[in-house]
Amino acid sequence: MEYAYVNARIRAMKSRLLDPSLLEQLINKPDIDSLITELEKTAYREELEKAGVLYSGINRIEVAIRKDLVKRFRSILTLIKGGDTEAFLAIILSRWDVQNIKTILRGKKIQENPSEILECMIPAGELDEAALTELVKQPDVKAVIDLLATWGMVYARPLILNFKEFTDTGDMLVLEYALDTFYYEDAISKVKTSESDDARVLKNILITEIDINNIKTVLRAIRDRIDPDEVKRYFVKGSPEFDANKLLTMMKTGTIEGALKYLEQTPYQFITKIPPEYIAAEKISAFEKELERYLVKKAISQFLGDPLSIAIPIAYIWAKYTEVTNIRVIARCKVTEVPEKDLREALISV
Amino acid sequence: MVDFGIPIGAGIAFGLGALGTGIAQSKIGAAGAGTIAEKPETFGLMIILVAIPETLVILGFVVASMIMIMLV
Repeated sequence: MEYAYVNARIRAMKSRLLDPSLLEQLINKPDIDSLITELEKTAYREELEKAGVLYSGINRIEVAIRKDLVKRFRSILTLIKGGDTEAFLAIILSRWDVQNIKTILRGKKIQENPSEILECMIPAGELDEAALTELVKQPDVKAVIDLLATWGMVYARPLILNFKEFTDTGDMLVLEYALDTFYYEDAISKVKTSESDDARVLKNILITEIDINNIKTVLRAIRDRIDPDEVKRYFVKGSPEFDANKLLTMMKTGTIEGALKYLEQTPYQFITKIPPEYIAAEKISAFEKELERYLVKKAISQFLGDPLSIAIPIAYIWAKYTEVTNIRVIARCKVTEVPEKDLREALISV
Repeated sequence: MVDFGIPIGAGIAFGLGALGTGIAQSKIGAAGAGTIAEKPETFGLMIILVAIPETLVILGFVVASMIMIMLV
């Protein structure tokens, strides 16, 4: 794998990401039209012009930034061909497959208009635009799962296994957790077989994601007073530090403070410093936000890792995703006239 | 009796320098090509960066020349 060429291109792409001062200018724009005008001065110009033919206002921004994200990720995938690296990159990008399938399933459950569902798709993974269009056309949740099975997609298996429970309870979380668990456990099993530095970097990020997902599950379950034994099956396996037993012990404390004590002396001890009023009010969103920020920071800091490794593509993918998320937050806040203070709190700052 | 040690030493001084230059230029060249593909305006800078490892082989050549001139 010729990392010198690929990573130099990715670093050049990174130089086109919006810098903090530009993000500040976007925040200070009074309305959506001036936001579009400012964005047209950046690398999003081309996609904004294309989207401007069919859409206006916030939809124009949404479509343009989504297309730009997909274009960048696909261009990275075309640069990295063959060997473990391509497989590792596919693991990272397949998170968008999981996200797209979840969106389609949710849309089908509430019988949303197919065109509305399609607009939320990010075809950056194995499922391209044509495949997603076909999935969206299916009449219900069962038909979507059947089509995935017909195509031989690995995600059909966890969905089929949990479909009965979904039909009995009508709870979409059953299918969503099944997909997440399958994705992370499958990814960890693929990475474990390799001894390379690339595998180590990716495994490190995946374990952090798994830990953060599990910690969030524990905190939510404590807040909602759910029985620990019932929650146990939603824990994702693969983390050496936070195995099911430790997570169960955290849950059995029954309080947020008790669970947080187990995070001391771990990389996640920063959430124990969250103001006590949030803990007392069991405001889980504050914890989730901090955990997400930590994950994004850790992933983007991979830019400082080995310059001739998969660390650079990983960091770029996260940096780009964070940028797109921030632009979406700013655009939505401008439309709904959210105060600047709340807007800044909603941004993922790194 | 011909002393082969001096020309062999000069050859090593020049050869290793050239080898080092080759390795360095291959990496810098690949990275430079990647950068130019994304940002064509960096072409001039890349030419300079690719040429920098030439100093290694020039030094090797100077040392080899000195060996040959001073010791033969």
